[in-house]
This record gives sequence, C-alpha cells and structure tokens, in this order.
Amino acid sequence: MSTPPIIEVAGVGKRFVVGKAEAVALQDADLTIHDGQFVSLIGPSGCGKTTLMRLIADLIEPTEGSISVAGKTPRQARQDREYGYVFQAPALYEWRSVLANVMLPLEIMGVPKAERKERAVRLLDMVGLESFHRSYPWQLSGGMQQRVSIARALAMEPKILLMDEPFGALDEITRETMNFELLRLWQETKKTVVFVTHSIAEAVFLSSHIVVMTARPGRIREVIEVDLPYPRDAETRESERFFELTTRVREALRIGQAAANSQSAGGATSSRAVTESAAD
Amino acid sequence: MAVEPGVREGDNLVRVLAQRVLPILAVLAATVALMYPVALWLGLPLARLRMENLANWITTTTAAHPLSEAPSAGSVGAPAGTRLTFGAFDEIIDDAGATVRGGASRDVERLMLVRGGEPVAADFSVDDEGLVLESAVEGALLTWGQQLEGPLDDGHVFRFADPNDVGAPIYLNGRLLEAGAVDSVERADGASATFTFPLGNGPVIVAGEVVVEGAGFEASGAGVVLDRAPPFNASVRRMTGDYAVLDAAAGTIALAEPSPTAPRAATDVLALAELLVGPVDGNNRVFYLQHTPLVENDPARRLMLDGRELSATAERPQERVDGERASFTFAGERGVVTLNGAEVTEGRDFTRQGNVITFRQPPVRNAQLRQYQDYLVSDPASGAVTLAVAPQPGERLWAASYTYYDRPACGATELECFFSMPQHPMPFPHWIAQRIGPFLTAYPFADSRNVVRATIYTAGGTLLALLLGGLVGVLLAVVFVAVRPAERALLPWVIASQTVPIIALVPVLLLLLGNVGVTVQTSLVPATLIGAYIAFFPVAVGTVTGLRSVDPLALDLMKSYAASPLEVFWKVRFPAAVPFFFTSLKLGTAAALVGALVAETESNNRYGLGYAIVGQVQAGNVSDVWILLIISALLGIGLVALVGGAQRAFAPWERR
Repeated sequence: MSTPPIIEVAGVGKRFVVGKAEAVALQDADLTIHDGQFVSLIGPSGCGKTTLMRLIADLIEPTEGSISVAGKTPRQARQDREYGYVFQAPALYEWRSVLANVMLPLEIMGVPKAERKERAVRLLDMVGLESFHRSYPWQLSGGMQQRVSIARALAMEPKILLMDEPFGALDEITRETMNFELLRLWQETKKTVVFVTHSIAEAVFLSSHIVVMTARPGRIREVIEVDLPYPRDAETRESERFFELTTRVREALRIGQAAANSQSAGGATSSRAVTESAAD
Repeated sequence: MAVEPGVREGDNLVRVLAQRVLPILAVLAATVALMYPVALWLGLPLARLRMENLANWITTTTAAHPLSEAPSAGSVGAPAGTRLTFGAFDEIIDDAGATVRGGASRDVERLMLVRGGEPVAADFSVDDEGLVLESAVEGALLTWGQQLEGPLDDGHVFRFADPNDVGAPIYLNGRLLEAGAVDSVERADGASATFTFPLGNGPVIVAGEVVVEGAGFEASGAGVVLDRAPPFNASVRRMTGDYAVLDAAAGTIALAEPSPTAPRAATDVLALAELLVGPVDGNNRVFYLQHTPLVENDPARRLMLDGRELSATAERPQERVDGERASFTFAGERGVVTLNGAEVTEGRDFTRQGNVITFRQPPVRNAQLRQYQDYLVSDPASGAVTLAVAPQPGERLWAASYTYYDRPACGATELECFFSMPQHPMPFPHWIAQRIGPFLTAYPFADSRNVVRATIYTAGGTLLALLLGGLVGVLLAVVFVAVRPAERALLPWVIASQTVPIIALVPVLLLLLGNVGVTVQTSLVPATLIGAYIAFFPVAVGTVTGLRSVDPLALDLMKSYAASPLEVFWKVRFPAAVPFFFTSLKLGTAAALVGALVAETESNNRYGLGYAIVGQVQAGNVSDVWILLIISALLGIGLVALVGGAQRAFAPWERR
C-alpha cells in the first residue's frame, strides 16, 4: 500500500473490571490501517472486535498501549470529528424524522442550516431513501433504518467510517444488497472503512484487508490481504479466489480458536492470560 | 417496507362503530340496567320504613257525621221509618268489624244519634246507604245558623262572620259540604314548583291562596307543577273534599267547586256519632275507639259521656316525688293515677282521701306521678281509653271527634311509597337523565351557582394545577438526573409528601393561605396548589424514567459527535423524556382533579364543582349529586384527552 497510515494501534490492551474479577477484552493489539483501506475485523464473540473499534473511536480508553487516529490522539480525532460510527443497531433518534436524524451531527458541528439540509438530502439520495425524508424511524424497515444510520455517519464527511456489525441484524438477502451498496459508497467516497463482522463471506467480499481475531483473551491473530479486484460483483462471490480466501480465513479462525481454548482451558477469562505468549 | 400509519384499509365507519363504539355502549347499557335493581334494592327498605313510620301517615279527624241532606224547611222531627243519610257514611262503616272490640258489630252497638252535643233517644237500623229510624225523633233535625259571606273572589273563597264557627257543618243548596285537604309530600324549598299529594284532585292551596288547575298549576302524573314556586316552607295542600279551611282565625274557607251563592252553616244538626266499644256494666273502665292508631296529642279529641265532655287534663302532684314521701295532693278528687306512665290501682297500690292519695310504698325518687281527670289514652295503638269512673248502665260513652292515623301518606304499597319518595338513595337512571336539563339551566350562566360555570372553574383550577405540578415535576426530574446527591437527599421527602393524606393537608394549607390574605372561598389558589401537590409526583417519577430511558448507543453516538452535555440533554435526553412526561401527566391529571375537588370542598369555594357536590349532598338532591358525579367523570376524561392531544402535538413521532 502506498497510502499513508491513518490508524495506528500499538501494544494496546483493555481490561474491564467485572465485580471483583478482571476481564481481558483485548491484549497486545498491533494494527496499522492505511488511508482508503477497507479493513474488516473478524473473529468469534468476545474476541475484542467491538472493544478495538470503541478504543479507536475514543468511546473507551485503553488500559495500555497507544493509538493514533489521523495522526492525532483518539480524543483529538473524535473532537475533530475525524470518523463516523455506525452501530450494530441503527440507533436512530426516534423523535426525529429521517432527514432530521441525518442532520443531527451537522447541527452539533454547527453547519449552517441550508447546508445541513443540502448535505442530508444528498446522502439520503445516495443510500436510496429519497422518498422517506419525513418518515419517522419506526415507519422504516430494519435495512432502511441501517441505511439512514450510514447516511448519518457519512453526513459529517469523516475521513474514517467505523462500522460495528452494521448488517448483523439483517436477513441474508437485504444484507447482500447492503454489501453492494456499501462497496459502491466506499468507492465513491474513498474513505477508510473499519468494519466489524461475524460473516467470513461478507468480510472477504468487502475488504481489502481482513484482521482475524481470537477470543479469551482478545487478540489479533493474523492480517490477511484480500487481492480480489474492485469493483466486485455477484461473480466475485463465485470465483475460485473467493473460495480460497474464505477457506483461509476460516482456517485461521479455527486454528486460532483451538490455540486459545488450549491455553485458557479451565480459566475462561482469567487475568493470567495476559502473560501467555502469542500464538503467531 | 414502510408501515403506513393511520386507518387500515377496509375500515369504514360501520366497522369502526361495531368494533369500538358498540362494546363501550354495551357496557354502559348493562351498567345503566344494573342500576335499576340496585335502586330498588337500596330504596325499598327505606320505602318500608317510610311507610311504617306513623309520622308519615295521613291523619284524619273524625267527628259526628251530620245529615248529608238538609231537611226541607219547617220540618220538625222525623217519624219512624224515615231514611236518613249522613256525610262520610262510608268512613263509619268502612272498617266494620275489623278493629271493633268487645263484640260490637257495625250497627247500633257502634253508632248513636246525637244533636247539639246530646244523645238523641231513637232506635234505628243500619244498612249500606244509611239508617232507617225505628222510632220517631222529636224536635228540629237541623237549626240554621249564619249565611257565609262571599264569594270573596271568583266563587271559591267564603268567610264565616264569626270565626269561632269554623268547623260547623255547612250546606250548599241543601247538601252537606265535606271538608278535606292533604299536605304535599314534598316540603316547599323555595325553588321547586313540583309537588305530589297522596290523594285529592281538587284545587291546590298555597300559603292560604287557592290555585286552580289550568290557572296556576298543571297536573303532571301523580303531582302538580305550579306556575310559580311557592316560598320556602310555605304550606302546600290539595283539596280532597268539597271545601277546605283557608285561615281558621279569619274564618275563611275555599270551595273546590266555585259557587255564586254562599253556603250556610248549621248550628244544631242531627248527626251520627261513634260509640266507644266496651261493656257498660258499672265496672268496666276500659273502652276502645274504633279508628286506630290514635294520635296521642290530639287537640281535636272530644269524648262525651252522654251530654258531658270528658277531660283528659293531667294533674301533677303538689309535692315532689323524693323517694320518701308516700302522700301526694292533687287538684282534683278523682282521676286515673299513673306512675311512670303505668296505671296504679286504688285500694291495691294507694288509698284516697279527698284530693290526697297515699301510696303503700313511697314511689321511687323522681318517678312521674300524674292524675288524669276523666280519662287517659292508655294504648294509642289499639285505641284503648281508660276512664277514671266506670260508666253506669244506661250511660253512653261516645266520641264527638278525635284524630287517628288513617294510612301512609306515601301510598298503599311499598312500591308506591318507593316511587313517591322525594329522594332516593340511588335514583333510577332515567330520573337522573330527566334532571340534567333543569339542573344545568337552573341558574343563568353569570350566576356562580350555574353548574356549567362551576365545571369550567374547576377545569381551570385543575389545568393550573397541571401546569404548576408539571413544571415542578420536570424541574425535580432534571435536578435528580443531573445531580445524583440531590436525588438521594430529596427523593425520600418527595415520596413522603405523597403519603400525607390530602384531606389532612388541605385545612392546614387553607389556614396558611387565609393568613397570607387569600380569600379561599373564591380563589383558584387552593385548588391549584393541592392539585399541583398531587400531580407533580407522577410527573417527576415519569420524567426521571424518561430522562434515563435513553439508549446507551444514542449516548455513544452523541459522544462520537463530540456533543456538549447541554446538547446531549436538549437533543437526546429531553426529547426521549417527552412521551414519559405526557404519560405521567395523564396520571397526574386525574389526581389533580381529585385534589382540586377536595380543595374546593374543604375551602367551601362557592365557584367550584366540589362545592356544588357538597351543597347537593347536604340538600339531599341525590339525582343532582349523580349528575355532578358524571360531570366530574366527564371532566376527568376530557382533561386526560386534552393532555393526550398535547402529547400528540408535542410527540408526533410516537407509534400509535
């Protein structure tokens, strides 16, 4: 990759205090994401995907290690609105119409009213919701709500789009449609996307790079580069290379999980796991 | 896909009616129908009590019954075989045998002829229409007295020149006029013009004035509706006979049928009188009047022994009954002696020397000792009269006049008494419905007693209470959510405030307000404060819940936007709390109305609905109380609907 790094994660760990015990959510994470990449985080539940995203977004602070986002501390990056965040749930504000939801971040940024509206309308057009400006969130289907959520994240015109399982709650057909649309959006806007998913196929189809993570404790196991050419379409899913890559990701997940299980057998989330050596 | 809000396809008015309105109406109809048996269940026992209470009976004064036809002028005496008829003869033979004691039947043993207060010696036989003389009667059968003056108006009112003659038999065109009038069932309250009477269909006498049907009242079912409401406590009577006394002191009477000529009074007229029933054997002192039960304190009671009127005067002893004294002095030398109401017997209990009686045992201290000169009504229920001296054979004991309880004024059956009750513990729903119009329009709108005005007034108080309570509730909620220590310090007190019964709180508040110069009888302040006191609590609790109901993701999102705390409050927490606020405000509305009503009740706020309720309860106007209850309920529903409307306006995003 010739582009400069935009997110750098170095030796980052995160522990949560649960009652008297400590849970290790993430350990020794090192990751560099370059500008314009589409990076998927994949791994079983509890592998720290979401934790890593929230650390990058400065919604939580790391216990150890350092993170840099767009060359700044995460806090500075958040205050400069360098990223847009899309949650697993649409998290729309139910008292605002679709248009007003998209305009909300712009209101907070202090964008003039006319421009707010112009930008929101443009983004809603882009996600195919041009006829639903006045609808309230409960009047939309799950997929449409998630599209509003993406439009809202894009409204701030961030350099980075953080997407935490945005299509996790959708059915398979809607999900595939959304995948196409997301790819199209990414190619149009040339943003850096960090994308959390449970689905191997989705990760391979969308990403330029796949970060495979393992659980207990959460670690980055491997970064796989996906060399499928863009633009990708339905045929991409049927290509041989696609199957090879999915198999490789599946293997990496399986081996990583087996190693993690053998290491922590008997003590699920013990803090002692911190001292275990990396499986790489 | 988008879900279309609003009416579903295929809905039409008929289906909406059938599915939503009909069930509600069915429940309403069932409730209304259920009120009828409940009304009977509650009312019939009261009707029975009313019927059994002698105070509610019509009293009838029966006197010697004069000849019903004046004999032709100049006729003196009547030979044997003459048929004579008497006024109210039905009444004489009415309960023949029913209450008669001592074996007397409805004939000569119960009846006798009298004239001028003296028995007339004559034999006769009795049949259904009258009697037939079996021996001749000497002397004039009737002596004419004065002609009455009048008519004093269009033919109804006449006057005795000598008011002392009021009550003497009067004849018009040779025919006896019967007196009779009954009091109305209802008391004149100064406002109502509707009255019912146990019987009678003649003119109505209002406070001594004759009112004729069609020119002063209209008959309406069992009652009459007067053109003008009589003044408070005015006597309202209806004529049941041929005439009624208007004013005994002035000597005026009113005829039921107008007449151009004045009736004429008779001084001495042959009359048929009741004999008291009992063996006249020289020993028996207990006799029975034939119409019972007797009215005990009866100024009209005149019992005669032959030509002498017996006295029922009660004498007190000259000495105090101190528990030691045994001899007592009375004014008279004979009489029935009673001790604490029970007769004591000469010879057995006491001895008599002149007007001094001496008991064998001194009567207990403060015992009531009386001597009744000639007789004593010993048992009003059975009509028993105890004489001081037993009549001798040949003497005749008869009643010139006396008063008895005839029948319940309310009607002959429990059901009749139920329907004639002026107020019911639970009125029939259609009676309530009939009252709505008159009740709502009883006073002009400008009058503070107007019910619509009172309703608006109370609604205003409740709305002010909601405004104040809502404001306080929201402020508290914001403080609680923003400052945790404030919640820990204040919440227990806020909860405790709601455990204070408002009925105990209101008087204290009224005292305080009175002392700071608020006229609680006319001010909205008490209702507002009490209503707000109750309403703020659900609002505070609901709003706190609402402010805390925000999705954590929504807060994370705001954090990712680097929003300030104030922006988080105004753009997320506040709108999220709006539906909770309105829902809790709806709860508070019903409570605030209760608070306002209680405050009005206790402060005697004469502009409000609470005061109206208390007033109608105290006046015993049960139907009106029910109407006020319904109005209060509708007001509550209306206010809640108003808050619901505000909710729709301020939180249009809510799913419905």
